[in-house]
Amino acid sequence: MSIFKRSAKARRASLLPIAVGTITVGAAFLAFAPTASYAQSNNPSALNNYGYTGSYIYGSNPQSNGHNVITNVNLNPSTIPFGKSLFVENCASCHGNEAQGSSRAPNLQGLGAATIDFWVSTGRMPLADPTVQAVQKPPRFTRSETLAIDAYVTSLASGGPAIPNVNLNLANEASGSELFATNCAACHTITGAGDALASGVYAPTLLSATPTQIAEAIRSGPGNMPRFGPNTLTNQQVADIAKYVTYLQKPTDQGGIALGHVGPVTEGFVGILVGLGLLMLAGLWIGGKAK
Amino acid sequence: MIVTQATDWFDERLGIAKFTRKSLNKIFPDHWSFMLGEIAMYSFVILLFTGVFLTLFFVPSSKDVIYNGAYAPLRGTKVSEAFASTLNISFSVRAGLVMRQMHHWAANVFIAAIVVHVCRVFFTGAFRKPREINWLVGTGLLVLAIVNGFLGYSLPDDLISGTGIRIAFSIVLSVPVVGSYLAFLLFGGNFPGNSIIPRFYSLHILIIPALIVGLLSAHLAIMWHQKHTQFKGKGKTDRNVVGVAMWPAYAFQAGGFFFVTAAVIAILGGLVQINPIWLYGQYVPYRVSYAVQPDWYMGWLDGALRLMPSWEIQAFGHMIPNVFFPAVLLPGITFTLLGAWPFIEKKITKDNLEHNLLDNPRDVPWRTSLGVGILAFYVVLFFASSTDVLANSFSLSLNFVLWAFRILLFVVPPAAAYIAYKLSVEASEVPGIGRRKRALIISRSEEGAFSTSESAPRSISHEEVIEELPEEVKYHNVLDGTEEYVMPSAVSAVSTVINNVSVDVDLGPLPSGGTGVYQIPRSPRGSAPNGRSNEQEQQGDLDD
Repeated sequence: MSIFKRSAKARRASLLPIAVGTITVGAAFLAFAPTASYAQSNNPSALNNYGYTGSYIYGSNPQSNGHNVITNVNLNPSTIPFGKSLFVENCASCHGNEAQGSSRAPNLQGLGAATIDFWVSTGRMPLADPTVQAVQKPPRFTRSETLAIDAYVTSLASGGPAIPNVNLNLANEASGSELFATNCAACHTITGAGDALASGVYAPTLLSATPTQIAEAIRSGPGNMPRFGPNTLTNQQVADIAKYVTYLQKPTDQGGIALGHVGPVTEGFVGILVGLGLLMLAGLWIGGKAK
Repeated sequence: MIVTQATDWFDERLGIAKFTRKSLNKIFPDHWSFMLGEIAMYSFVILLFTGVFLTLFFVPSSKDVIYNGAYAPLRGTKVSEAFASTLNISFSVRAGLVMRQMHHWAANVFIAAIVVHVCRVFFTGAFRKPREINWLVGTGLLVLAIVNGFLGYSLPDDLISGTGIRIAFSIVLSVPVVGSYLAFLLFGGNFPGNSIIPRFYSLHILIIPALIVGLLSAHLAIMWHQKHTQFKGKGKTDRNVVGVAMWPAYAFQAGGFFFVTAAVIAILGGLVQINPIWLYGQYVPYRVSYAVQPDWYMGWLDGALRLMPSWEIQAFGHMIPNVFFPAVLLPGITFTLLGAWPFIEKKITKDNLEHNLLDNPRDVPWRTSLGVGILAFYVVLFFASSTDVLANSFSLSLNFVLWAFRILLFVVPPAAAYIAYKLSVEASEVPGIGRRKRALIISRSEEGAFSTSESAPRSISHEEVIEELPEEVKYHNVLDGTEEYVMPSAVSAVSTVINNVSVDVDLGPLPSGGTGVYQIPRSPRGSAPNGRSNEQEQQGDLDD
């Protein structure tokens, strides 16, 4: 035990800075600790120890009357000629001058403004490369050009969903999270990261979709995605989903570096390569090696 | 002063001095690959500490409540108490999230370290006689660790782990004849029921950890009793142990390594997110998320489920559920063969000798290549559990990736085994293999001519260190006629045999054994010239 043996004076001398340091750090922690993290709700009276109540409050958003949470975008008829010229230049070679379709591309008449707007505004159209699935890329047209194309194609035939304008302030995130988990997560994954489906088809990531595009996709069902009509999801529910997806694009991300939100695959690699890897390097450093 | 009094007090009552002295002077061979098991053990200690913290706040109940806690996007939704309390740990309990994440990372590292440790033991032949029992105990520990990892992963009752339980239920159902009875017994009725979370909780925090602690203690006690294996080297034989003494060198090395392990896990827990259950949401049986994988140590099973073709195999007029083959039969065969390996190898080699010296993997090409081949099989299965993520990341068709893995599963293992065999044979023929490379010194003479020479060896052999032993250690080398059993190392209390009479020679407390490399004799089991002495020696060791 001789290695622990030191003079009493030396021991006292070394205890002093430790005591001072401990008290200082403790005081600093008490002063700066985020006490706000304990505040769980703006309705503290209804809380039990675990931060949840016995009363059922989910179901409707008191701010919303359910009518104006989604409004239709009115297309300006005066832009139709401009839209037509854009369409003829960029789309007609496949879809035909009157959007009537060809052997290469489908008929667009009567699909509705939401459909046209979704494909063009997400950059999927014009198509860069005819593969299994149209790839999302930076849009070729400005917003006003896109709306002009929408106006032109919509003017050819009536029908189909209009471009939805989502008022996220009237939408309910919690309801959206449940609807998203039930209706969307099976393909797009619960974090909206997207994933591969069968035969080269994939559910794209939702992390760059705007609320309008989300609502358009729900209502029009682009590609392999099912179409969710008003009898399946109400406007309020569509807005709720749009709000939750918008949240997922910048979620509460406590806990450090998020590993792509793809679940245990990346976590496993980090655990094995970084965690065990660092420890094995440390072991190699500490332990004996070949002579 | 007080320490001396206290130890004396205990020694007078329990006689611990002799045991302690002997323990402190126990010799441990020093090699970095012997520390892999230590990583596992220290991760387990961290699992226990962080786990106890989590039990203070976790509520193991499937009861529905309306969540109204700190995480706004789920406020007002119906969740289970288990999920709500996990959210509470993550967002409202001070240091709760870092503890949760440390617990999860420690579990990942724990099982990874066990697997690498098993590989080390396998490839160096450390499982051979007399260590077959410890290999079996270790196999049991691996199974328990994987099972407990799965149970713990399931406790938060989130969407992804719930899907895992759903799969586990189906796997149990798939067992022929008894499947449905077994599944209902384990899950307390049909899926999902209300018993899963409380039952998994008891198993996860109580029963399986107790089993792990018990088996781990046995694992260490047997290792202590049999003494650790060592690599071949100068002065090392099957009959001795060359290494550093427990105190202080090994104790500080091991103790320090515990803190390194804790630091790495704390860094991961604090800086890298794991299992953000708030994004996954509550598990509801009709909901499913895509891109659902289990934690990595279950990955090979998930991969096997994915790769299994959809065959419907009939036997005895009944269909055997497809899931049975990849999810019940495969792990059954895996762990049976793993546990039985020392006995299988004995059948092959007919080698019944005691081995305390390790093989270098390159010296036993057939075992090495077999091990690499089998390992490659499981690595392919492991990667196959992320077919969807790989297909998405590399913009490939999921079907293509799936078929590629089905082919790779049969192509990679023999190829890896062949390469391993060739490399082993080649490597063992390289002159000077296994020795540290000497630096080449290029010198220039006064005339301007260059000449090269090898530098002197960097390390010093243990004989030289023994010569530098402290004087007082040498002093105790007093027994004559038993030189090969009493070594100049710091063994202060010696049971030995002089003229067929067992003699306890208590040489009293010694100062510390020092930090040199020591050599102590290994008592050969069952082959000692004197049975009584051997028995005594073993009993003494068992007390350890």
